[in-house]
Amino acid sequence: MNHCIVLFFQFCKFSVLCFGGGYMLIPLLTAEYVDQERVLTMSEFGNLCSVAQVTPGPVGLNTATYVGYVNAGFFGALAASLGLIAPTILIGCSATAGINRWKDTFLVKGMLKGTRLAAVALIMFAVTIFLGMSVFTKTIPWESFGALFRLQRPVLPEGFRVSPAGVLICGATIVLMLKTKLPTTALLLGAAAAGAILSAWF
Amino acid sequence: MEIQTLSKAKRLLLLYCSFFRITALVVGGGLAMLPVIEEIFVVKHKLMTREELLDMTALTQTVPGIIAINSAVYIGMKIAGVPGALAAAFGAVTPPFTVILIIASLFPHLDPKNRYLLGVFAGIRAAVTGMILVTGCRMFRRTVKSKLECAVVLVFFVLAIMKVSPALLILVAVPFGWCYVWWQTRRLARAEQANRESSKDSAESMQNGEDAK
Repeated sequence: MNHCIVLFFQFCKFSVLCFGGGYMLIPLLTAEYVDQERVLTMSEFGNLCSVAQVTPGPVGLNTATYVGYVNAGFFGALAASLGLIAPTILIGCSATAGINRWKDTFLVKGMLKGTRLAAVALIMFAVTIFLGMSVFTKTIPWESFGALFRLQRPVLPEGFRVSPAGVLICGATIVLMLKTKLPTTALLLGAAAAGAILSAWF
Repeated sequence: MEIQTLSKAKRLLLLYCSFFRITALVVGGGLAMLPVIEEIFVVKHKLMTREELLDMTALTQTVPGIIAINSAVYIGMKIAGVPGALAAAFGAVTPPFTVILIIASLFPHLDPKNRYLLGVFAGIRAAVTGMILVTGCRMFRRTVKSKLECAVVLVFFVLAIMKVSPALLILVAVPFGWCYVWWQTRRLARAEQANRESSKDSAESMQNGEDAK
């Protein structure tokens, strides 16, 4: 029960901090559940995001339900989902009338500018997290790159290498997204099929 | 307008069912829902105008929270007040909640050593990497307007890699944004003033020139 209350407030926090859409949840969630509480490993988190992407529904909600379930079962899932929507309902119900009038004030403009810059950086950070689970076989070892500043060769952890199938699928997705208007669902299904076929090369 | 002919209870039911349908069918969420929302609420039921929808889209991306729920709450609020917002939000939550619960309870029964299953997940992860990268680059192009802003993004990025908590970064970004916007408007005002003075100067010198003739 206690656990569910904690989950509820954690997801309230994520919701309030989530400027710029569902992808912003990735750095927030990994910092909380992978690095600090260690209820999930990085590869579990990766699978979770894959499931959240291919099932219908907003990515943020899917992820919340899943993290809640892994943490504390059915009620955990319920607490996490409700936590994610509660602040939105509060803000929405109180601010709909006023916010258009406030849009050009210094306070709102400054907040948006600052949070947007941070959001761009954090989404790029989310990319590096995902690179460590797809294009590379392990989490990118930033600590070992510190050796470059001392003009030494970085010592890479064992098993850290580039995955050929990962590079192929990631590259193909980027090209298809930029050059065609294929819906993301089609891209994801294609990637899933390609992943099964190329499974030996990851 | 049809809005008067629909009773309150019917409007709430419509909101719940519509958002249930939207999140049950639309994969990807967020902005992908927009065309469906337009079809249901603007074209079919005429409960809001296209301009209102456009205003709302801008709004849902500025307030915090995930875009799908923001949209549900604002449309619900617009059509049926606070109960409407609740109905729409719960409608949006129900399908993903049920689907993910079913999948999550099946997950432990899947064979974790099945090569093809692992391949499927790895494939989707690789595709998601590409998608986040493209989304991030688009956001970068829309948001970052100067070299200074680019440097700020870089600093935030490096701090995130150095395991500074993302929550802390966002909280720091707010006062930074205030200082930045204040500095920018002051600089703009100064430039404008300098501009005005120089144009006054040139006007005066022209006047002097004409006097001399």
